[in-house]
Amino acid sequence: MSKLSNIWVFSDIASRLPEIIAAGVALGEKVSAFVIGTEADINRAYSFGATHVYCLGDKDSQKITEDYSNTIAKVISSSTDTNTLMLLAANKRCKALASKLGVQLQAGVVNDVTEINIDNGICAKHMAYGGLAIAEEKINSPIAIMTLSSGVFEAQVADTNNTGEAVNVAFVEPKTPIKCIERRAKQGESVDLGKAKRVIGVGSGIGSKDNLQIASELSEIIGAELGCSRPIAETEKWMDRERYIGVSGVMLKPEIYLALGISGQIQHMVGALGSQTIFAVNKDKNAPIFQYVDYGIVGDINKVMPALINALKA
Amino acid sequence: MKIITCYKLVPEEQDIAINADGNLDISKAAPKINPFDLCAVETGVQLKGLIDDCSITAMSVGGKALTNPKARKDVLSRGPDDLTVVIDDKFEQLLPHQTARILMAAAQKTGFDLIICGDGSSDLYAQQVGLQLGELLGVANINAVSKIISAEPGKLIVERALDNEVEVLELVLPAVISVSADINEPTIPSMKTILAAAKKPVTVLSAADLDLSDITELVELVSVIAPKQKTRQNIVIEGDDEQQIAQFAEHLRKALK
Repeated sequence: MSKLSNIWVFSDIASRLPEIIAAGVALGEKVSAFVIGTEADINRAYSFGATHVYCLGDKDSQKITEDYSNTIAKVISSSTDTNTLMLLAANKRCKALASKLGVQLQAGVVNDVTEINIDNGICAKHMAYGGLAIAEEKINSPIAIMTLSSGVFEAQVADTNNTGEAVNVAFVEPKTPIKCIERRAKQGESVDLGKAKRVIGVGSGIGSKDNLQIASELSEIIGAELGCSRPIAETEKWMDRERYIGVSGVMLKPEIYLALGISGQIQHMVGALGSQTIFAVNKDKNAPIFQYVDYGIVGDINKVMPALINALKA
Repeated sequence: MKIITCYKLVPEEQDIAINADGNLDISKAAPKINPFDLCAVETGVQLKGLIDDCSITAMSVGGKALTNPKARKDVLSRGPDDLTVVIDDKFEQLLPHQTARILMAAAQKTGFDLIICGDGSSDLYAQQVGLQLGELLGVANINAVSKIISAEPGKLIVERALDNEVEVLELVLPAVISVSADINEPTIPSMKTILAAAKKPVTVLSAADLDLSDITELVELVSVIAPKQKTRQNIVIEGDDEQQIAQFAEHLRKALK
């Protein structure tokens, strides 16, 4: 695979920078990192493999990171590198930055990229239709801009022998700056099913709210988080929306997924197919869920759940 | 204040089927208003309740689905005063940079103080249109807006929920904001508002009505295909007597180790 001459990288969240630089090292001959911060942040970018660092200055509490777009665009557009790619972290802030840069640099933008191919032009894949499909897009502009999903590239180990000087870049005032009046940490981390190792999913076949209690007991015994199908969250409203698995809901990646009374429409299954091993209990042997399972049992939920609790308690 | 709320018609995802070759079959999926955009419309309606002398124009660009009277009535029943749609055969499968460019031309024609978009659409979920639109118009613009704190002539204060922090931002109007799905719970239209929607004015524009000389194709959509499935064990026990449940429990126990 031939490499691009230069990859520009940026992440507002420090922990995402190593993997974005790793992507830059894999795809480009040079990796030019934009850094907002101190000498330590510059050194950190070099240690993870950046070959050039452009420093945009210290963090400024009144400025929002998105307002550096004009500054970044000026550096990129005055560079002699052509056919380049800019990679950013796939979060809300970097997505805003990416779109602004896209207009300023007349560059194609793709968000939440899960795969990059530069063999035949610059192509990127990302999830579409809530996970039902993967869309592939080809970027035709001389500069391509992407926000990269986490986990696509493995972060490189820091090597403090890699050092260098940063080029200081003067701030370019945006036409319509946005003033930050206040900034505070987000309160109360809620459940993150997408990171759970074990998940039990509950569907309409659970029958009653009392049975939900039994499913919850089972989930405690096996150390699983409880999730649900769309009807349980939206029609019955027995569980919060943030626990609903599937299209436009949560995408799971657990080691074990146990589906209780879920019929297995593709709209639910796309959220569960990332599971390593899938178990299911359903009374209808023709339910589509059984096409997707590793282990299934055709049976009455009222019998199977209590029996499972007894068997696994022991 | 003149507010524009943008929306896109997307296929109902519950009715999308997947063909054996991995392509999506959306022929049975009726077009509906993108759920994120319902929040944008609702934000506009709530703002109107706070501001004297405020009007809301709903706006969309796209292909022939936008000619559907039911879909037009649907958006108007949710509170906008009027509707502007830009329809052209060429606009069937627009990518975000093209949508933003066309919306820019339409918004310049109608005029605006504030444009409200959803953070993304449930089909391609590109999350770019509002931001690119604001940037093309050369006005203040931001995404992930989770609350409107205050609106007064020339100034908007909003809260923005990011992955690990919350920002309170002041935007000078005119501006474009993209709102996140948690900003509100869209109201379900009543029979009265549905009936009233039929009487609201609709302006239909074509590409020729707007100055759209050069929309470069910065990005092209190559394919949209369902991902390949992992192979599974497919061991299904038929029956729920004691022994069969024990067998199933044993598989589960092994996996739990």
